[in-house]
Amino acid sequence: MTETSSNSVQTTLASGRLSDRPDARREQAAVRRRQASTLVLMYGVLISIATVLLGTFLFALLASVKEDPLEQPFRFWFAQINPVNWAGAWEQGREGSGNAWWGGFSPGGEVTFHLTYAAPVGEELAAPAIEIPRRRPGTGMAAAVYTDFAVDYASDLDIRREDGPLYEFTNKDGVTEQWQQATWHVRFRYEGEGPRIERVPFSSQAPRSQTLIDATLPPTRMERRGRVASWENVTPGVLGYVFNNYRRVFKESVDLNTGDSLFMSWFQNSLLISLGRVALTLVLATTGGYALARLKFPGQRAVFFTMLVSMMIPIQVTFISNYLVIREINLLNTPWAVIIVLVVSAQVLIMKQFFESVPREIEEAALMDGAGYWTTFYKVILPMSKPALITITIMAFQGAWNDFFWPLVLINSPPSAFALPVGLLSLRNAYGGAGDWSLILAGAFMSTVPVLILFMVFQRYIVDNPIASGSKE
Amino acid sequence: MTIKTTFMTAAIALAATPTLANDVVRISGWGGDNIVVVNSLINEVLDDDLKAAGITVEYEPVEGDFAQILTNALSAGTAPDAFYVDSFWAYPIFESGKIDPVPADNQDVADALLPALNQAFTYEGQLMGIAKDFNTLAVQYDMDIFDDAGVDYPDMDDDWHDFRTKLQQVQAELDDVYGICVVPDYARFAAFALATGWQPINDQGHTVLDDRFREAFEFYVTLPDENAGVLATDLGQGWTGGCFGNGDTAVAMEGAWMIGFLRDQAPNKYYSTVGIPKHPETGDRGNLVFTVAWGVAADSDVKDSAHKVVELLTSEKAQQWVLESGLALPSREALADNDFFNGDSTAAITSRVVFEGASDGQVEPFQFGEYGGEWKAIVDEALSAALLKERSIDEAIAHAQEQFDRLTGR
Repeated sequence: MTETSSNSVQTTLASGRLSDRPDARREQAAVRRRQASTLVLMYGVLISIATVLLGTFLFALLASVKEDPLEQPFRFWFAQINPVNWAGAWEQGREGSGNAWWGGFSPGGEVTFHLTYAAPVGEELAAPAIEIPRRRPGTGMAAAVYTDFAVDYASDLDIRREDGPLYEFTNKDGVTEQWQQATWHVRFRYEGEGPRIERVPFSSQAPRSQTLIDATLPPTRMERRGRVASWENVTPGVLGYVFNNYRRVFKESVDLNTGDSLFMSWFQNSLLISLGRVALTLVLATTGGYALARLKFPGQRAVFFTMLVSMMIPIQVTFISNYLVIREINLLNTPWAVIIVLVVSAQVLIMKQFFESVPREIEEAALMDGAGYWTTFYKVILPMSKPALITITIMAFQGAWNDFFWPLVLINSPPSAFALPVGLLSLRNAYGGAGDWSLILAGAFMSTVPVLILFMVFQRYIVDNPIASGSKE
Repeated sequence: MTIKTTFMTAAIALAATPTLANDVVRISGWGGDNIVVVNSLINEVLDDDLKAAGITVEYEPVEGDFAQILTNALSAGTAPDAFYVDSFWAYPIFESGKIDPVPADNQDVADALLPALNQAFTYEGQLMGIAKDFNTLAVQYDMDIFDDAGVDYPDMDDDWHDFRTKLQQVQAELDDVYGICVVPDYARFAAFALATGWQPINDQGHTVLDDRFREAFEFYVTLPDENAGVLATDLGQGWTGGCFGNGDTAVAMEGAWMIGFLRDQAPNKYYSTVGIPKHPETGDRGNLVFTVAWGVAADSDVKDSAHKVVELLTSEKAQQWVLESGLALPSREALADNDFFNGDSTAAITSRVVFEGASDGQVEPFQFGEYGGEWKAIVDEALSAALLKERSIDEAIAHAQEQFDRLTGR
């Protein structure tokens, strides 16, 4: 506090309540303003950081459910997140297969799809040409997997017209015109027996003078400069509509020899690799850290120094020698190759520091009670090390789960043996290098789930400083 | 007949029966439409032939960076028995000795292929792979866009100026459409550069960026400035086909792979295909041949069976089916007269134009020998620098020439 303000406070106290004085009130107001502005600044910074960090996450999530994740400009409001369309998808799925969640087209299904076209008064409002095309879903493997087409089972196609009222339409030049509208109710059935078809593609072609203004579900895309409205699936079911890309990840990426989902294989491989690495890391970090912290043995400093140096060597320097060793012991193309290629110096260091902060008296008490080194370590020290162990577990799991380099180098055949990050890369298809980004994004998003769960469950342990926790007396 | 005689007769009959290999052959290639092609060939078209040969084929398509994965697998000794070899990166694979040359038994298959394709897979006088199909560049154009703009469709007689004028007219007439997406990629630019008569690597083994190269370079990189095109990246795309599929451009300059791409991404597109525009003075078209062969791993334990599988996969029966499915262009010369090419479907027209592109004008294989991707990267960098205005045309070419001088010698 400055001398002036100190005097002021003393004077104020002598003369009565602080807020009674006009200059004191001004000063209080100024303090409040400063506090408020500091608060605004602080929250502004925090919100900015959160926006940057979570914004990309939100973008990825939204893009992963879009039909065209590369659309420009990026829209935050689109068909898949519109509840009106959920209701339409629910109804269409129910009509097509009796399954309002995942939709489809099954024997007995009867689907009605509504299309409303409009045109200026005076123009002819012609019936659109409706087609259920023989369109195979997706690309690549999907084309080999899906062999049943809705067009082969849809029959009794019936189109009924219903005229609507005139309405006023303001064009882009600001001119208001009278427009006429008509709705076409398109109905088709699945008669007889047959397989459940997952999708019913649909297209409607109308003269350019007509505009599609409404439909049971918005078209997947408008083609031929507005002449053709095209739907990938008019019986999607609500989950099939919103999470179509996610379903595709499972269904369109399969091992052609076994028919198993490649994505599930990659997921299991990554899980095995991550759990294996976590287990190995915990064993090495705890035993190594404890030995360096508590045991006295010749060359201890050299071991510690070597460990520090090993942290500074990039993996690219040692990868050829590691690769050759793994090839010689016949572990290539197995998850074990990726599990054993790990450097745990940092984790050993963390555990060493942690164990050094544990009072020796605790171990001495255990030794006095007759416990050996191993019993002391296993039954006394390790239970106390929970925060540090959980931190290391999370770090190791996240590192292994997201590891790209080693799985790429060590596992290259067959595709079902890939780890998840490498598998996701392989979801790119081969049209001049263009990727199926819907599939990649949905797959990538699903790959974040295990790490997210791990963080959510154990986040409070990460906030805790393990060393600080362990050093409490 | 005594029992002894019966046994002897049976034994002689068994010995005379050709033995089946009973081998499992792993084959691999990249994804996309190839998966349907190979999967159908193995399980439908060639099923009986494979059974007769006693061979079980395990197909492992890779939907990623195939060259990288194959290189790793070859290094590890875990490569499939037979696999795709792209002419672009074939040289280092051949040089490594990891490919088993085509045996004399398969020579008749090789002799039936287009000679230019065999040339792409010949290393030190030995044929290292049997070309399975090929592609060239052509111009795909959106008929709705040209109709709406009131501009004549591109045609086989167009030269560079006609082509650019039509694109400019489309761009002027329609607010939401560009002429063509321009990409800094030699694999597209070469269609113009080669038409001038310029040679990528001359008889002395050097690359010289002469006036002919400059003429094509200037034409190509100024397409956006001349209101005839746009940079693909400005539309969030990386290739001309992506822009075309979205309806953002009037034309694309791609190969027959566009058929499959558009069938999936823009199934109702009303388009057709013509040849690459001609150079106004030479009257020639330029083009690249992209080709892929089946190679057999030198380390394979079932080399003979793998060669047999390759022979079947490139047989006339297999290629006839592939062609008539509209999935790929055959590498066999005899199939040039196939009726499929005379059809009027978009796939047939595109296939015909692309097939004819291999022998129309100045055509080079898409490969750069020992220099590989390093050679291409120099031209790509120059195109990128000029398109992004980081360097003037002359500066970009001069810089590229300096790099070529270091790479290929003066």
